Amino acid sequence: MMHTEENEQVEETNMAAWLLGIKNLQIQPYHLPPLGPNDVKVQIKALGICGSDVHHFKNMRVANFIVKKPMVIGHECAGIIKAIGSNVKSLAVGDRVALEPGISCQTCNFCKNGTYNLCRKMKFFGSPPTNGSLANQVVHPANLVFKLPDNVSLEEGAMCEPLSVGVHACRRADVNPDTKVLIFGAGPIGLVTMLAARAFGAPRIVIADVDHYRLSIAKDLGADDTVQVSTNIQDVGEEVLKIHKVMGESVDISFDCVGFDKTMSTALTATRAGGKVCLVGLGQSQMTIPLVAAAAREVDVIGIFRYRNTWPLCIELLRTGKIDVKPLITHRYKFTQEDVDKAFETSAKGGNAIKVMFNL
Amino acid sequence: MGKGGKSDGSNVEEENMAAWLVAINTLKIQPFNLPPLGPHDVKVRMKAVGICGSDVHYLKTLRCADFIVKEPMVIGHECAGVIEEVGSEVKDLVAGDRVALEPGISCWRCTHCKQGRYNLCPDMKFFATPPVHGSLANQVVHPADLCFKLPDNVSLEEGAMCEPLSVGVHACRRADIGPETNVLVMGAGPIGLVTMLAARAFGAPRIVIVDVEDSRLSVAKELAADEIIKVSTNIQDVDEEVGLIQKAMGGGVDVSFDCAGFNKTMTTALTATRPGGKVCLVGMGHHEMTVPLTPAAAREVDVVGIFRYKNTWPLCLEFLRSGKIDVKPLITHRFGFSQKEVEEAFETSARGGNAIKVMFNL
Repeated sequence: MMHTEENEQVEETNMAAWLLGIKNLQIQPYHLPPLGPNDVKVQIKALGICGSDVHHFKNMRVANFIVKKPMVIGHECAGIIKAIGSNVKSLAVGDRVALEPGISCQTCNFCKNGTYNLCRKMKFFGSPPTNGSLANQVVHPANLVFKLPDNVSLEEGAMCEPLSVGVHACRRADVNPDTKVLIFGAGPIGLVTMLAARAFGAPRIVIADVDHYRLSIAKDLGADDTVQVSTNIQDVGEEVLKIHKVMGESVDISFDCVGFDKTMSTALTATRAGGKVCLVGLGQSQMTIPLVAAAAREVDVIGIFRYRNTWPLCIELLRTGKIDVKPLITHRYKFTQEDVDKAFETSAKGGNAIKVMFNL
Repeated sequence: MGKGGKSDGSNVEEENMAAWLVAINTLKIQPFNLPPLGPHDVKVRMKAVGICGSDVHYLKTLRCADFIVKEPMVIGHECAGVIEEVGSEVKDLVAGDRVALEPGISCWRCTHCKQGRYNLCPDMKFFATPPVHGSLANQVVHPADLCFKLPDNVSLEEGAMCEPLSVGVHACRRADIGPETNVLVMGAGPIGLVTMLAARAFGAPRIVIVDVEDSRLSVAKELAADEIIKVSTNIQDVDEEVGLIQKAMGGGVDVSFDCAGFNKTMTTALTATRPGGKVCLVGMGHHEMTVPLTPAAAREVDVVGIFRYKNTWPLCLEFLRSGKIDVKPLITHRFGFSQKEVEEAFETSARGGNAIKVMFNL
């Protein structure tokens, strides 16, 4: 495939990591669509693996999204612009950019009302049937590509995607200097939510997890306090008491970044009357929870799906140093068949792997 | 004994009687000694008292959630009456005024109160929530600021209806009902019906209401539901019913009110509501629920909780005065204040069916 780059006419086959079947990723050629007038072509330089990528890898599906044909994996990415469409004014070849993965239709009511993350026609990198971005290059709308400040690296640019989930959750839950925050789960999502909550001014943040090691990472990253909890539903009452003691005062907002009966039950019970529980994690579909008891204290449950209008804020928070995501990147791999296999294995294992990052 | 009970110049010392919950399924009309009239209090002669599902629940079980009746308690809280006496500092009310009563006295000192969410006050003293006595009595003493003067064209019975109506109004506020929100109401009992009436008053363009009972659905239709749908208690029917509901609504369900509060109703509501919409949980059917919360949360369907109400009486009275809301059709049964009638009234209310609001006239 021929494409022109700045001053060069190099014919290079674009390669990508294709999901061909369960636990079967192969680096193969990836033909890009032509560059539209409002598009840019980006050379991908940094790409993180998300839990959903691993889930697709293991199951060939996530919820109602089923991988029916080979699909390029990956969506948390940043890179360098190689070509710009004829209408693109605000970006130039050579610009370092972070990419927002999802292309919404921009004509439905959800889009026009600003809640474009709920667009039913969303085309999202790595969500079947839309190809992802673990590739040498992708073509993407210019309005979804955000220039990185000089002091923000390409890896940090790729981290804008998971960070966006935390930022969107903090907005929807209205985190501010008055809200004491409790977070369930010290995995990547719990941690970005914690970093975002701090940036939004939360005066006190307590984080809970079953894993002692993850809690120590959270403490290093600035949690005011941590609570080790169990997976046993019988322990809810006792854990709520522990949480209240550790928080010192009431819990205004809880973020369940795990999404199980146990974590949701604890969150609903621990949060003060009139407070909010934000369900970020997508653990189990059906939940058995004390919902009436919570609703009768006007504890509201806020749902989160991806994010909207978060890249500018994420980039600014990274630029000023209000948020430092670099410690979350624990493992790095190159874009080779062997490394792709190893990277997914590492990410799937969890444990001390928080964010696994490709450098292309 | 009403202490120094003066009413319009006569010196009749009348013993104040009330309906006391003395044991399970046992109500007895007995004397009720009122506290002295404080400077900011009024004494009200009760004229209309409605029976609520929670009153019936206390009668049958002596408890409601964590509230337990440990000693005899006067029942009833949905009430209106005529002022007989005002405390020394009361400026806005006089003897003879017809008033509706907001039942709950909050502390006014805690953070919830000072932030305006006084319904969540942990020290709330609420008529007929143990250990606080209720208002199914000849007279009660109550803070003047919780007694609201009825407009001339609003009856005492309608005044008593302000209490259940307040639940619907509060729910519509929390769920942000307006001219753009298509509303689904689950349950056509008294609470579903007042929620429907409130939603209409808030401008909801389309209201679909569901219930398992035909008679309740036909009342809802008469009260101007846009569409009524009969549903089952069978959890397997959820998908089919969601289809019917969405078809009946036409343009997507923006807000669902679960006024029943069961797994089935909540599951239907969570599934039927559009992405970015809200499900308002008003009913308190089951303490713990098994529901598809994650798929709903992953469509940003939020669950909004409701506990009683706050700052709703003025708005309720205005809705009634202007005729924007007509609660009179909800009052289906009336009883007087005698031992026999008290027992019959509660039996009628407990039976449900075609009994919507059972009202005492004292």
